[in-house]
Amino acid sequence: MTLLRRGAIGVLMVIASAAVAPELWTPAHYATQFREAADAEPSGRFPLGTDRLGRDRLSRLVYGTRVSLLLAPAAALLSCGAAALMGGSAAVAGGLTETGIMALADLCLSLPWLFLLLTMRALLPLNVSPQTSIALTFLLLGVLGWAGPARVIFATVRKLQSSDFILQAHAAGLGPRQVFLRHLTPNLAPVLLAQFCVAVPLYVLAEATLGMLGLGVAEPLPSWGNILRELESGNALSQPWLLVPVVLLALVVASFQAVMPAQTGEKDYA
Amino acid sequence: MSPLLKINISVDYPRNPGVLQSLTLEAHAGEIIGLVGRSGEGKSTVTMAILGLLGYKGGKCAGEILFQGRNLLELNQREMRCVRGKEIGLVPQSPLAALNPNLRLRAHLEEARRAHDGEKRDWAGLMESVSLPSEAAFLDQLPRNLSVGMAQRFMIAMAMVHRPPLLLADEPTSALDMITQAEILKLFARLNREQGVAMLYISHDLASVASLCHRVAILHQGKVVECGATGDVFQNPQHAFTRQLIAAIPQPPQSSLVAMGKALRPDWNEAETMAPEQAASEHSPVL
Amino acid sequence: MTKLGKVKQTRWKLYLLIAAIACGALVLGPGVLHSAALDKPAPGGELRMSLYADVKTLDPWLSDDTPSDTVRYLTEGVLIRINRRTQQPEAELATSWKVSKDGRKIEFQLRKGVQFPDGSPFAARDVISTFDHLLDPSLHAPVADSFKFDQGVVKVTAQGDYTVTAAFPVPVPGSERLFDLVAVVSAKSSSRPAPGLGAFLIQERKPGTSILLRRNPSYWKHDANGHALPYFDSVRLDIQQNRDLELLKFRRGEVSVIDVLSPDLFERLSKEAPGSVIDSGPTFDSDFMWFNQTAKSPVPANKKEWFRSEVFRRAVSGAINRADIARLVYKGHASPALGPVSPANKLWFNANIKPEVIDTSLTLKQLIQSGFTLQSGSLKDHTGAPVEFSIITNAGNKSRELMATLIQQDLAKLGIKINVVTLDFPSLIERITRSFDYEACLLGFTNVEADPNGVMNIYLSSASNHAWNPGQKAPETPWEHEVDKLMLAQAATPDYHARKKNFDRVQEIIRQQAPIVFLVHPNALSAVAPSLAGVSPSASYPHTFWNAENLFFTKKSGQ
Repeated sequence: MTLLRRGAIGVLMVIASAAVAPELWTPAHYATQFREAADAEPSGRFPLGTDRLGRDRLSRLVYGTRVSLLLAPAAALLSCGAAALMGGSAAVAGGLTETGIMALADLCLSLPWLFLLLTMRALLPLNVSPQTSIALTFLLLGVLGWAGPARVIFATVRKLQSSDFILQAHAAGLGPRQVFLRHLTPNLAPVLLAQFCVAVPLYVLAEATLGMLGLGVAEPLPSWGNILRELESGNALSQPWLLVPVVLLALVVASFQAVMPAQTGEKDYA
Repeated sequence: MSPLLKINISVDYPRNPGVLQSLTLEAHAGEIIGLVGRSGEGKSTVTMAILGLLGYKGGKCAGEILFQGRNLLELNQREMRCVRGKEIGLVPQSPLAALNPNLRLRAHLEEARRAHDGEKRDWAGLMESVSLPSEAAFLDQLPRNLSVGMAQRFMIAMAMVHRPPLLLADEPTSALDMITQAEILKLFARLNREQGVAMLYISHDLASVASLCHRVAILHQGKVVECGATGDVFQNPQHAFTRQLIAAIPQPPQSSLVAMGKALRPDWNEAETMAPEQAASEHSPVL
Repeated sequence: MTKLGKVKQTRWKLYLLIAAIACGALVLGPGVLHSAALDKPAPGGELRMSLYADVKTLDPWLSDDTPSDTVRYLTEGVLIRINRRTQQPEAELATSWKVSKDGRKIEFQLRKGVQFPDGSPFAARDVISTFDHLLDPSLHAPVADSFKFDQGVVKVTAQGDYTVTAAFPVPVPGSERLFDLVAVVSAKSSSRPAPGLGAFLIQERKPGTSILLRRNPSYWKHDANGHALPYFDSVRLDIQQNRDLELLKFRRGEVSVIDVLSPDLFERLSKEAPGSVIDSGPTFDSDFMWFNQTAKSPVPANKKEWFRSEVFRRAVSGAINRADIARLVYKGHASPALGPVSPANKLWFNANIKPEVIDTSLTLKQLIQSGFTLQSGSLKDHTGAPVEFSIITNAGNKSRELMATLIQQDLAKLGIKINVVTLDFPSLIERITRSFDYEACLLGFTNVEADPNGVMNIYLSSASNHAWNPGQKAPETPWEHEVDKLMLAQAATPDYHARKKNFDRVQEIIRQQAPIVFLVHPNALSAVAPSLAGVSPSASYPHTFWNAENLFFTKKSGQ
């Protein structure tokens, strides 16, 4: 178990450090088009081949990793934080607050966000840099993504509230603050972490979808989202190297899951 | 001397009205009173009502709960919180579920202490009093490392943090195996003897009631139908339901018979320090 | 495909590609002669094809989308059909026609002995009734736009049972071609779709799933041996949006024709089954970009100045590597554009226009002469502001995004920075037609008409589709004034050579001024099962089944 965790941390660290300063070691800049070598197969010059416009795939993947691995967790953090706040206070406060917040969450889940996001993009000025555009996209994803996790948090808090140990805490005369801080919060943390780990790959893929609709990462800036879009037209069977980004995404997601604090103690006492 | 606890309550749940109907019960200081009844007859409701926690289950309580001369039903939330844990302790049915899985044992004790601003102290003495390891390493465990029996001992320790005059024990042994059960019963008896703590011992297990309680109250259809000294009630049941209960005891296993036998003996207090097996061998001639 | 907003269209349609690749236009492509064409026709069997969306309407007069058009082609009869291969009009329900000298009148002789499926004979009254209904303003028939003019609508009258005259309020050169789109519906039928005069009849429609057509037993055509056409017993149109699945079905033989293939899928299929793919050569379609020159647009004044500068527009046009676009975006299945007219449009293409030659240093010199400066790799205008602008294009169209990215790098060589912005279709239309809040736009024309009259609505400065600066009260520049004059002049005469001379000049001006920078003309790509015979592939739509009544399976693989 710990070996797996260490491995996962290692993987994440390698990926993160590779993406910290891609300028230093990638074969080319992500936007440079080697048009005479478009659609090239992997070679010494282009380890993962080139895309349709002759851009080095490895370089784009590494730069894209930096963009996605920085922003997707940030957005996930944002939405999980909002979810904890909203879902938690709905469950704790109950009554009108609960009705209000849960109605808001339902509304959020049923709204056609795609259209709202599109409208929002249409309202933005045209000459925004790709960096601003992508930061904004993930900000929106983070802000809009609270409702789903909030319902999970709400349900968890409700379950916790009716649990034996919370009842026992009340029976021991603990005050509401004590119950909340010492009993609710520590038990909520794993749920939040799980939500976070689910949200990260979700946002990476959401960004890819939004990219198809003209939101998110603008050309030529690479992201995992728009790199994954290459699979739409490519033939992964005859060009297996197109699958490298998928493998990387799976690796990162799996590592995130493995790094999650496991439910084990140091040693059994009894 | 006025009783430590004197209750006369009726409890309604929204979907289950009349769970308790003018249930009356008295407990004197230093006394162990057993409350016996079938499952689902509202035995746990009594503990929740005394602790003022019925609201969590949507229940409503009418009547009065006189504890040390105060009517607990008239206290506000804050005042009631000061009674919980400090003056009345609760020993739960499922000790493992009653422990926060993500909180270490020491933290549990510290939280219980902080709830009533008790002074900082070394927990070794308390641990010893419930026959748990007293070294620091033990308290650094998470609850999942405890066996059920250890967990129940720990819950008893938790309940005793503020040395309340009254313990409510809600089916505290029903989740335990026979041996552990006997140990816990022994522990209760010792605490009662050494520290003078009164107990409301709720159970459907007649054998344990017989071995532990000074008096017993029989709960049936929301009312106490019979109440008296344990020996009297068991030897000479008055109410039809009590007779039914006693008759329903399956062919009693050895230890239960012994326990019942003990209950009938005037000197039962001495016997409880022995393991059930020993007790069985020692007292078998009685039968 | 989606129609351009609510912009009123007259005789040409500006389609924007959203999901798929363009459909073809009218041209005689190089095509492929199918060896199976020499086989002896074997009647029977079922032709299977895919539709990329459900049909919006089965009413042949309201059809305005590709799936509906497909059903209309297969089930309806027309007076004159344009042979998609030769580009020549051919007699269908009219056996002959005569255009008057002033170009205002056409007289049709109708075919005798043709019957509707209900047994009633086809005669002049059916044509009259068709136009009566079609031109009814309340019907809003898209095809009727071609018969409506500022001076009035076409008047169709009968002279006896088998002679019909259509009178135009103005001279309309090549007017007979318009009748290719008009389905003749029986005067007796009270509702549409009614069983028509096409090769097939609608048998069953499962909304969202498929449409089954069966052979029209009373279809009038016979082959050379006197065998009644069509050969197929039925045609099955399955609604299949996923092009990869369509390709899979084609490989399995479950689909015999893919009328429109994307370059990617074309390349994939050509590796597996080289014999089945057909590149019919460049279409009339084009991809292009233009700058916003509207006076009232909210674009900053200095940027407007660039966009209104001929030198600037020429510099951009000259810097874009069109060959790379054709090669990288279309995998070679497109031709670099020389000007507004595709070389495929042999009648009207101006062959004297020379291709752009990329000469960065010359272009930079010209830019610097007109007030721009180059500072540390970045182009600055005379106010010192860096030259940076955005190109909007419709989201979801990968080719466009790739093109924009190529243009981005090409213009970076001039020190010009471009931001590519992909917008959803409605907000894009809003910007280019109403708010004019954009700087440059990258789009495509499809279904472009061959005749210059068809593009009048783009080049007249007063036109609403004068993309770069629509609806001018009076031409704002001398060259637009000249284009206006030339376009009106070519429309005023039926004489081909006079018209060609005027339109050639228009092409030169557009090329010189570059208000629209034409990039490439995509090719028409299709796939046809080797067992299917009689196919006469064409670069215009429909590429493969325009002569569906003549198609058949060769005996060996007959289904």
